[in-house]
Amino acid sequence: MTEAFDLAVDPLLAAYAKAIVALLLVAGAALAVLSFGFGKDVSGPWRTYRGWLVMIPLVLGALWLGPTATVVGIGLLSMAAFKEFARATGLYRDWWYTVSVYLGIAAVTALVLVAHPRTGVAGWYGLFMACPVYVVAFLVTIPVLRNRASGQLQWVCLSIVGFVYLGWMLGHLSFLTNSRHSLGYLLYLIFAVELNDVAAFTFGRIFGRHKLRSEISPNKTVEGSLGALAVSMALPWALRFSFPHFGTAELLLTGLIVGVGGQLGDLAISMIKRDIGVKDMGTAIPGHGGILDRIDSLIFVAPLFFHMARWFRGF
Amino acid sequence: MNEWRYEVPRDLDLDLAERLASFPREPHLWMFVVRSCAAILIRGWLRFYHRIEVRGRRNLPVGRSFILVANHQSHLDALALSSVVPLRWLHRVFPAAAADYFFQSLPRSAFSSIVINALPFDRTGGGAESLAVCRHLLATEGNILVLFPEGTRSPTGELGRFRSGIGRVVEGSAVPVVPCRLDGAHRAWPKGKRIPRPAKLVLHIGEPCTYGEFPPGRDTVRHICTDLRRKVQELGADR
Repeated sequence: MTEAFDLAVDPLLAAYAKAIVALLLVAGAALAVLSFGFGKDVSGPWRTYRGWLVMIPLVLGALWLGPTATVVGIGLLSMAAFKEFARATGLYRDWWYTVSVYLGIAAVTALVLVAHPRTGVAGWYGLFMACPVYVVAFLVTIPVLRNRASGQLQWVCLSIVGFVYLGWMLGHLSFLTNSRHSLGYLLYLIFAVELNDVAAFTFGRIFGRHKLRSEISPNKTVEGSLGALAVSMALPWALRFSFPHFGTAELLLTGLIVGVGGQLGDLAISMIKRDIGVKDMGTAIPGHGGILDRIDSLIFVAPLFFHMARWFRGF
Repeated sequence: MNEWRYEVPRDLDLDLAERLASFPREPHLWMFVVRSCAAILIRGWLRFYHRIEVRGRRNLPVGRSFILVANHQSHLDALALSSVVPLRWLHRVFPAAAADYFFQSLPRSAFSSIVINALPFDRTGGGAESLAVCRHLLATEGNILVLFPEGTRSPTGELGRFRSGIGRVVEGSAVPVVPCRLDGAHRAWPKGKRIPRPAKLVLHIGEPCTYGEFPPGRDTVRHICTDLRRKVQELGADR
């Protein structure tokens, strides 16, 4: 296990915290001006803003407390996201599958925390990557154990998507804590992905004209999407101090992974919601919908970034 | 290709407070786990702190839908009545609880729905909707409704008047009603006291009775209320 991050020593966390607080103050001031100065109704954006005021300290606090707290926090987030997915799809009614996926997520979290039994390196990478093999094998065995076939394929498929997408792929974010550059990676990813979302929304509001994916997400526009991509391509250079060891190729790929991957992750969850017929995945975060609605971009981006960084820079 | 069927829960877009105060509630894994653990603790507490004695347990028509009706003296009543049902049926026991008291805030809603599995009963405005919910619940086999026809905890311990609600739920149907009498609850935890005292509780369970042969109407409702009140009163008489 790596040593705890130390706020007093670590300038990265302090730098990001200052930048985020500054952004929050600006946004708060803008809302106040719109409301009191121009008399506009800002109740919707205000609820969203309040949601940020709760979430941001939680995230920064977990990062400050250290890698173990961060990993456990991401594990719990994973379980909460899976619970929303399971409830919305009806998988939650079947406790065998639900509990199996919960255990799978717990296993993924544990594998991030333990050291490799032979090399002693933090995080058991091999077994972490092989996890889906074992969990899928077990999920397929459940109907065999119960001697039941009717309707089981749907449950097995939903469980596999739930575990692989919401448990294992998001687990890559946890595994980043085992890197030498963990704090920079994590802070950048979380900040960049959320900024990508906000940029897409803002550019969409101002310049939006052509629908992006009308069948999946009626509010997204091509203009918003391109605006977000531009922001995400520029951001790695703006925040270069997060990963000083990255070369040009890595920075370019980071921009693409966040700019394109972030939006694909959002659209993927939107597609699922459309297919099921719900508007939000839950109501856990007032002003934002469910937890899954908030982290959908991160789920897609984290593993792609993880493997890119690992390929270019080792770990 | 065959369409998948997604059983979306009815309360998906309610926030937590609304979800806890809604009825019927969707099956929920964590809720079941917490309720089961709480039930074991509560049964232990009733057995050792209140030395509860149950007489007539064999009278319970477990497996069928039925209504448990009892005198109401304290907050212990619903807990004591729920505790006589086998643990297997724990999540099918629904004590009716006043919505304006037990579901008025998030912590109370959480406790009432998770631990007690209460059915929010609208005391105001006649309660027709709540009675319909009760009848619908009893239409499915295996659901147990716990009702306190006095409508409120007796301040003196004396058996009060039985309100018409129980009559209106039962009229025209053959669902068995089991009259019960809980003695000692007024000594243990009367209305107004904060902490229960270790007084002994005795629960008498009477024989189930049905009123299916009476035609629905005001006379039947009145008859059911007076008959049940008499039965509950007489249960504690022979000690």
